[in-house]
Amino acid sequence: MGAMKHMKKETSNMPDWLLETENYIPESDQDTFVNKSILSLLKVIARIKSQDQEKQAKLQVNVTLHVAFTFILLILLSLSRSFIFVIVINVYLLLILSAMDAEKIVKILKVSIGVSFFTFLVMVPAIFWGNHFSSIMITSKAFATVTAVGILSHSTKWGTITSAFKRFMVPDIFILVLDITIKYIVMLGEFALNMLYALKLRSIGRNKSKYTSLSGIAGNMFIKSKEMAEDMYQAMECRGFTGEYHVYYKSRFQYIDYIYLIVNVAIFILFFYFQNI
Amino acid sequence: MIEIKEVYYSYSEEVALNNINLAINKGEAVALLGPNGSGKSTLLKLMNGIISPSRGTYKFNNEEITEKRLRDNRFAKELHQKIGFIFQNSDTQLFCSNVYDEIAFGPRQMGISESEVEKRVEDCLELLSIDKLKDKTPYHLSGGEKRKVAIACVLSLNPEVLVLDEPMNGLDPRTQRWLVEFLTRLNKAGKTLITSTHNLELVHEISNRAILFDETHSIVADMPTNKLLEDVELLKKVNLVDPFYKR
Repeated sequence: MGAMKHMKKETSNMPDWLLETENYIPESDQDTFVNKSILSLLKVIARIKSQDQEKQAKLQVNVTLHVAFTFILLILLSLSRSFIFVIVINVYLLLILSAMDAEKIVKILKVSIGVSFFTFLVMVPAIFWGNHFSSIMITSKAFATVTAVGILSHSTKWGTITSAFKRFMVPDIFILVLDITIKYIVMLGEFALNMLYALKLRSIGRNKSKYTSLSGIAGNMFIKSKEMAEDMYQAMECRGFTGEYHVYYKSRFQYIDYIYLIVNVAIFILFFYFQNI
Repeated sequence: MIEIKEVYYSYSEEVALNNINLAINKGEAVALLGPNGSGKSTLLKLMNGIISPSRGTYKFNNEEITEKRLRDNRFAKELHQKIGFIFQNSDTQLFCSNVYDEIAFGPRQMGISESEVEKRVEDCLELLSIDKLKDKTPYHLSGGEKRKVAIACVLSLNPEVLVLDEPMNGLDPRTQRWLVEFLTRLNKAGKTLITSTHNLELVHEISNRAILFDETHSIVADMPTNKLLEDVELLKKVNLVDPFYKR
C-alpha cells in the first residue's frame, strides 16, 4: 500500500505535457547538408575499414618496391617527351588494373577518368590554338599518374605503406603523423557520424539555425580530437614510445617481386630509348 | 506498437541482425541482453530509423518503416519525435553551447511558443535535478551530468518510446541507482522503454521482459527478465557470462 502511494506521488511529479501523447505533425525543412555529410563520412570510413577485411592478394608485390617504383614511374612520366612511352605505360597500368577486383577497377577508373577529363577540359583552348600534341600528351599523362597511384593505394594497406616509408628514410615524425591520421580519421569519423545521427534524430522540425548546430558539432570534434591526441600520446609514452619507428619484420623477395623488378627496369630502359628517338 | 518481422541486416558483408522477430507493446519495459557485437545496438538503430532492414519488415504504430519512406523528411521527423534515442556515448549527443539550448533544441523546432519551450526546459531540468547546470557548457560536465542532460534533451521532445543504448555505462553506482529509479518512473508514467544493457544486477529493475541475443545475431530467448536471469545455463551458453558465474 505504501509502495502504491509512493508510486502515485512519483507519477504526479511528472510534468503534464510528458504524460500526454504528443500530437505533432512536422513541417518540411531542408536537411540535405546533414544527410550528405552523413553519407560522405560513411563512405570514407567504409573505405578505410574495408582495408582490414581485405584478403591480401595472392600475388602481392613487396610494398617497399611498389612504393619506390610508383614514385620513379611518376617522375619518368612527367619527364617523358615521347607519346609512345606514355601510351606504353598506360597499357601496362591497364594490364595490371585488369588483374584486380571489379569493384576496385571501377573505383580507380572513376578517379582517373574524372581527373583526365578535367585536364582535357582545361587543355581545350590549346587545341584551338593548334597545339594538339601537348593537350593529348598531358591528358594521357594525367591518366597514367592517377591510375598508378590508385593502384598503389588500392592494392596496399595504408599501414604497410607507412612502414615502407621508413625504409626510404622518411623522418619518423612524418610517419607518426601519417599513421595517427589514418587511425583518427576512422575514430573521429565514427564520432562525427554519431553526432550527425544525434542531430538528425533531434531535428524533428524546422531548424532556424542549422549552421549553428553544425558548428557546434565541429567545435566538439575539435575538443574531442585534442583530448584523444593527448591521451594517446601519454599512453604511448607509458608503453615506452620515444618517437622512433623501427621496421621489425624482414621482407623476403618472392618470384613476383623479381618479375616486378624486371618489368620496371624495362620501363626505365624504354624511357631512355624513346627519349633518344 | 513496434513490430519486427523476419528482419535481416548486414554491414557490407557482415551479418548484424539475423532473422529478428519481435513485437513490443505500448508501455512495456524491455531489455536487450547479449554479448558484445551481438546486434543489440544495430537493432536499436533500426528502431530509430537510422538504418533500415536489408530484408523483412519493421512497423511502428502499424506503419511500415522503409528506406524509401525515411527519405521523406516529414515522415522521418514524425518517427524521430515518437522515438527518442539516448546514445551510448553522451558526448556525441551534445552539440549546443549551453545546457538550456541543448534541451530547448527539440521543442523549438516543433513550432511551440517560446514560453511553452521554457516551461518544458525548466520541467526537464527539475525532473533530472540539473537546474544548476542550466548555463554550463555541456562539454565540461562530468559523465553522469552529461548522461542526465542527454536524457533531458530527448525527453523534452516528449517521445512515446525511449530507446537507451547501454545507459549505465560509465556511471558511478549512485547515479546508476538514480537512473534506474528515474527510468522506472518514466515507465510508470506510460513511456515505453527499450534498453540495451550488460548490467545484470539492475536489468530486472528497468525491465520486465528481456530479449537475449547470441553471437549469431539472432534472438534466442524472449521471456520475463527474472526468469531469464535464473536461467544461468542459457546465459553461459550465449557467452554473456563466464563459466563460473553464479546468481
